[in-house]
Amino acid sequence: MSGPNEDNNTQLSSHIFGDLLDSIIVDVASECHRIAKLGLDRNLEEEEEEMRLSAQARARVADPSNSSETNTKYVVDIFGQTHPSVATEIFECMNCGRSIAAGRFAPHLEKCMGKGRKARLKVTRSSTAAQNRYLRGSPVSTYSPYSNSTSTNRLSNGTPSVAGEEYSNGTYEEPWNKT
Amino acid sequence: MKHSVNRPPTPDGAEDQGNEPILQEIIKIKLIESGEKERLMEMLRERLIECGWKDEMKALCRAYVKKKGRNNVTVDDLVHLITPKGRASVRDSVKAELLQRIRSFLTSAAL
Repeated sequence: MSGPNEDNNTQLSSHIFGDLLDSIIVDVASECHRIAKLGLDRNLEEEEEEMRLSAQARARVADPSNSSETNTKYVVDIFGQTHPSVATEIFECMNCGRSIAAGRFAPHLEKCMGKGRKARLKVTRSSTAAQNRYLRGSPVSTYSPYSNSTSTNRLSNGTPSVAGEEYSNGTYEEPWNKT
Repeated sequence: MKHSVNRPPTPDGAEDQGNEPILQEIIKIKLIESGEKERLMEMLRERLIECGWKDEMKALCRAYVKKKGRNNVTVDDLVHLITPKGRASVRDSVKAELLQRIRSFLTSAAL
């Protein structure tokens, strides 16, 4: 290997390396240009929008007027939404067919299917089987015996009926167990 | 007679360099024909991705695009943006490896 050749070789190598690098640079630039034009990259405007929204939400959370969560009736969550304290969505009770608000549904069911005095009047023979199934798994609750009920299911002496719907003093009895 | 026939001969490049430019061209042609150029390109690309060089360049482009606006950017802009920084920030080990490969090709091809 003669001296000049070495130098030339080195120079040539660098020159070739520079060419390769330039080609790759153009490739990368072209790729980035394409991504930018097509909006494929996580959209820059979207990013700014998201950042702005999150900054807004953060400001609202840090707002001293919302200091305690139970302070006001209207609690603001991180998206800035408020929920009324009673759920307002309305749907139909499957028992009586009335339109009930979601927040009032549990108390309504209590009256409609369970302990309410007036509810007893609605019970018919055909629905007792369904109610048996429903009540069998439920925890014991205290009911006063219904001695003045006019339902045909009731025995006149007030002891638990065959249907097993009545409870006395919190004792649960199977329908077919008569004490 | 056509003017092109009487065209003076193409100058030989700088006379004192001998036939270096022509040698250069021959080498380059050999590089391409043997497929070595492709291999070298792929190798360089891989190395640059591995060491994060490509990501740096992409980040530069993204920042530039964000500043200028998506629709005001040309490929030329990006090339001019990246070239100086890109050439300077290639890792030394990568450059050395590639130069070594090229040099060994040159010695084998020159024989």
